[in-house]
Amino acid sequence: MSAELGKNESTLVSQVHSHSSVFPPAEVTDDLFVHEPLDSRLQEQVSGQTVSVWKDAWRRLLKNRGTVIAMCIIVLITLLALIGPQLSGLPYDEQNLTFSNLPPKVAGLEWLGFDGKDAKGIDQYEARGITEHFWFGTDEFGRDLWTRVWKGTQISLTIALLAALLDLFIGVAYGGISAFYGGKIDNVMQRIIEVLVGIPNLIVIILFILILDPGIFSIVLAMIVTGWVGMARVVRGQMMQIKAQEFVLASRALGASNSRLIVKHLLPNAVGPILVTLMFTIPTAIFFEAFLSFIGLGLQPPLASLGVLIQDGYVSMRYFTYKLVFPGIVISALMISFNLLADGLRDALDPRMKK
Amino acid sequence: MLKRVGYMLVTLFIIATATFFLMKTLPGTPFTNADRLNEQQLENMKAKYGLDQPVAIQYVRYLANLVQGDLGMSFKFMGRSVNEVIFERIGPSALIGFQALIVGTFVGLGLGVVSALRHNSIWDYTSVTLAVLGMSIPSFVFAALLQYYLGLKWGLLPPALWKGYEYTILPTLALSVTVIATVARFIRTEMLDVISQDYVMTARAKGLSETGVIVKHVLRNALIPVVTMLGPLAVNIMTGTLVIEKIFSVPGLGEQFTLSIVVNDYSVIMGITLFYSLLFILMVFVVDILYGLLDPRISVRGAKAK
Amino acid sequence: MRRKKKGLSLVIALLMAFTVAGCNFNSEQTNTQTPAPNNGNQTAEPTAGKKVLRIYDSDEIPTLDTAQVHEDVSFAVVNNTMEGLYRRDANSQPYLAMAEKHDMSPDGLVHTFKIRENAKWNNGEPVTAHDFEFAWKKVFQAAGHYSFMFETAAVLNSTAILKGEKKPEDLGVKALDDRTLEVKLEYPNPLLNQLLSFPTFFPQKKEFVESKKEKYGLEFDTVLYNGPFMLTEWKHDQGWKYEKNPNYWDKDKVKLDQIDAYVVKDVSTALTLYESGQIDRVELTSSFVDQYRDKEGFLTIKDPSIRFLRFNHTHPALGNVNIRRAINLAWDKQGLTDVILNDGATPLYGMVPGGFFFSPEGKDFRQLNGDINKGTVEQAQEFWKKGLQETGLSEVKVALNLADTDTQKKVGEYLKNQLEKNLPGFTLELKSVPTNQRLELEKAVNYDISLSSWGPDYSDPMTYIDMWVTGGSANRMKYSNAKYDEMVKQAKMETDMSKRFQMMLELEKMLLDQDVAVAPVYQEGLAVLQRPTVKDYVVLPTAPRYNYMWVDIAGQ
Repeated sequence: MSAELGKNESTLVSQVHSHSSVFPPAEVTDDLFVHEPLDSRLQEQVSGQTVSVWKDAWRRLLKNRGTVIAMCIIVLITLLALIGPQLSGLPYDEQNLTFSNLPPKVAGLEWLGFDGKDAKGIDQYEARGITEHFWFGTDEFGRDLWTRVWKGTQISLTIALLAALLDLFIGVAYGGISAFYGGKIDNVMQRIIEVLVGIPNLIVIILFILILDPGIFSIVLAMIVTGWVGMARVVRGQMMQIKAQEFVLASRALGASNSRLIVKHLLPNAVGPILVTLMFTIPTAIFFEAFLSFIGLGLQPPLASLGVLIQDGYVSMRYFTYKLVFPGIVISALMISFNLLADGLRDALDPRMKK
Repeated sequence: MLKRVGYMLVTLFIIATATFFLMKTLPGTPFTNADRLNEQQLENMKAKYGLDQPVAIQYVRYLANLVQGDLGMSFKFMGRSVNEVIFERIGPSALIGFQALIVGTFVGLGLGVVSALRHNSIWDYTSVTLAVLGMSIPSFVFAALLQYYLGLKWGLLPPALWKGYEYTILPTLALSVTVIATVARFIRTEMLDVISQDYVMTARAKGLSETGVIVKHVLRNALIPVVTMLGPLAVNIMTGTLVIEKIFSVPGLGEQFTLSIVVNDYSVIMGITLFYSLLFILMVFVVDILYGLLDPRISVRGAKAK
Repeated sequence: MRRKKKGLSLVIALLMAFTVAGCNFNSEQTNTQTPAPNNGNQTAEPTAGKKVLRIYDSDEIPTLDTAQVHEDVSFAVVNNTMEGLYRRDANSQPYLAMAEKHDMSPDGLVHTFKIRENAKWNNGEPVTAHDFEFAWKKVFQAAGHYSFMFETAAVLNSTAILKGEKKPEDLGVKALDDRTLEVKLEYPNPLLNQLLSFPTFFPQKKEFVESKKEKYGLEFDTVLYNGPFMLTEWKHDQGWKYEKNPNYWDKDKVKLDQIDAYVVKDVSTALTLYESGQIDRVELTSSFVDQYRDKEGFLTIKDPSIRFLRFNHTHPALGNVNIRRAINLAWDKQGLTDVILNDGATPLYGMVPGGFFFSPEGKDFRQLNGDINKGTVEQAQEFWKKGLQETGLSEVKVALNLADTDTQKKVGEYLKNQLEKNLPGFTLELKSVPTNQRLELEKAVNYDISLSSWGPDYSDPMTYIDMWVTGGSANRMKYSNAKYDEMVKQAKMETDMSKRFQMMLELEKMLLDQDVAVAPVYQEGLAVLQRPTVKDYVVLPTAPRYNYMWVDIAGQ
């Protein structure tokens, strides 16, 4: 079902109903309609070629070079996060003190700075007689940073996705119910949201992390305590808007049930803004995780996330710069890509932006 | 209006209650040298702070004090009230926060306008990239870089401490990065939105100069929703101060908050939480009023609803 | 619209003015006294011929009320601006300070102190015996954090007062006249002089305290100073300024004219300030050591604080002595201190750290008792097998409780990896919590293994030994050995110092060699970057650790 289609339908329906003396009614209630059996195939019958809004959006998305690059980067990083930890053949928590604090070295990439030289210009691999090469170097435990960076990316992405998905479910359910039923239910639910919005989310997150045992799940939980509110508001706003549009009215007139209304009309038409909000939630969640790690409320060692690695690297950034640079590049690339993708999606899904 | 104030009070009450009980479930004692105290001494200390009472009584007492504007006594800063602690530290935080807000809004505005007017040009991409970079590089990394280069290596500005106006510049810059990024992006989308509106087309059609169109119609209308950004921006800045103040040794409130969490200074945690929430709620309130003033459509709609 | 905007900008301007006014910058005066930020390694510049030391502290001073002080920052300030009957020298040995004479009754129970005639407060008034009596009793009235120090010192009735059986007025201290103070003890205590140098035993002037009410000790001018320096400025959360106290009885020994202390909470910020020439000394954490190891002014200092693993002795596996011994032996302590910590910390094979505690004959405690529980991984694995057989377990899964500081987390990560690698079937789960929470979990013996720390309260091995008596407040692991308890009691009463020392050596062996009650991890070290012009900056082994009166700035 698409927005265009909906509009076609609505013009059609409004013509049909134009003779009605009470139109438009102050409030649309069920008793205004007489249910009429109708061939469901005819309901959706439209003459002429239809272009699905998704195809259209997808086409517009692909026209935007920035977005395409962003999508490629996200796919690449996700792939690396999945297979990267296996590539070097070293587990992320394997310690070996003889390999402690080795700068990055890649055969053939010496000119790029991967030359195994520390801040004083000494080739640590030569000085210590180490023949193995660590692509991203090692930390003080002698753990391979290549493995840890990708393992960390994997964990950061997991946290972000989990938080975003949970936000999505709660937000859509809450916002949907609030908007769909309206009236008193909506009123009460909106008051609850108003109170929740008044609470600075950062403080809630910090307080919750303090109480829960630190770990992936606690961080996710703390983030969604108030995180879903934004999504709920977006969903409600969209639903309210769509609900008031003629095509919904028309669909109702044609005898659509509540569930059919929600599934066929309300949700699909709200998907755009929901998707955009979701895309903005992911980088925010990644950022919050990094922030929590920085103020010492992150994961339990030896587990690493990008935030933990950045915090480690930050401390020694002037001497062991590589410890900050690699996780820093990955987190920035992720944030930039998700933001660009979200921007692109919004542009693509908003027909007003059409040129 | 009265209703609004009522909701604000309810929100505050819920936050106060929630933080109070969260604090009660928080493990650990607020006594820094608990390491050395035996049971009896610990009991004595608890009695001194009223922590030996049942939670319900503590709660009622806490609320009663709260109504009188008394946030209690700090555990760590013995003999000092939470009100005092907050009052002493709010100045520096407010100063750098406020400066960052102003600097950030104006720079962000510039970037956003350029990017919207030259949509999909190299200018747009550069400024979008800059803005996204600003949002994606953690502010503490940016702060550390500023401190190292501007403060230490080139010696242009004092790298840390709080001894005069020049000491506020680096923390302000570090703090304004996210503001710049947020405002720039927001302005860009808003302007793009407005540019495609019918009345802009009309304005163009009736022969207004391009600058006239941009300034009178596009920018003005795009600016109105920026007011709504004030709330999220304030939160942004608050988050920023938590780490920025530590890095630049600014004697502010944000740093105090993280520190109090570490040492379980319950009363200060509760006090600052409430204070931040109050600020935030007031901010949202003011934004709503401002928005109503700036955009007549909103107040009309609001009037109709009543 | 236009008018509205004007109003808005006015509001903004007002807000701006308000915040600038409220932001507490230091006064102009201090501005001119610190050199402008500059490049390179600049030495401390003379400030109009004055000797100025510039340091930083990691936090704001909570209070200067000696009845309440309980953490490092205020200990440092109080120790440098106030003084008790005794003060400690650079070797941590007590010498008479506010008192000029100390007489003891033959049974060692009644001590009489004569206060110096030239002992004065900074306002010129004399320090009297009444000031001591008032201050000591106040500690109990105010339920001060360190009231238990009186119990350690065995001052008459202190235990009963702490238990609430007697009143603070019953404390065994009395001013016989303005200059004579009488202190009664429960039992003869060889550590008394040492303890009297602790801030909880410092005097306070009653009239002054009462005139300042609850503001006492909260500003630089709401407290009186009788020590080498006095505070002349205190900007909350920013820093404070010491100046030489002209009324101090021993002022000729004080070399510095002024000390500027700043609050800097981040070590990397402190390093930036050091490099830009604004402070003279920084204490490094291990992450920064590599960067500064080769710089001029880098040094490491031994520290008497120790880190060790507490075992929950009621745990089914950890209650077994062989399993505990295996955990003691199964990992490379040298690797931890040399590679991971890297800050001057040394491996610890005993309860009492090396280099600080000497027998009356001048021998180091650690050397006399040697390395306890030092061995190879193979030995560890044998004990491990034996322990598993005895307990009937095939694998052991336990959690390690640790404070959530960077360093402690690193130690935990290392331990986990080493122990899991070397002991088959052993799983260590790390649980990092804030320090205060770690302590509470320890106190409730609600843990499996806890990475714990201990710093000495006074310069005597007993501070590490008497922790482990049954039911002791520092035991916290349900360790109990009747023979140990009895011997500690005897050693505390023993006045023959050689015999006493011998007993403490035996006690340590009983604790670690026989019972393997805990697993020592390392002895802390202190890595410091200090400007070469700063001389005689001594760090004492026990709190209060800093005494600036000997510090000198060279070349001036």
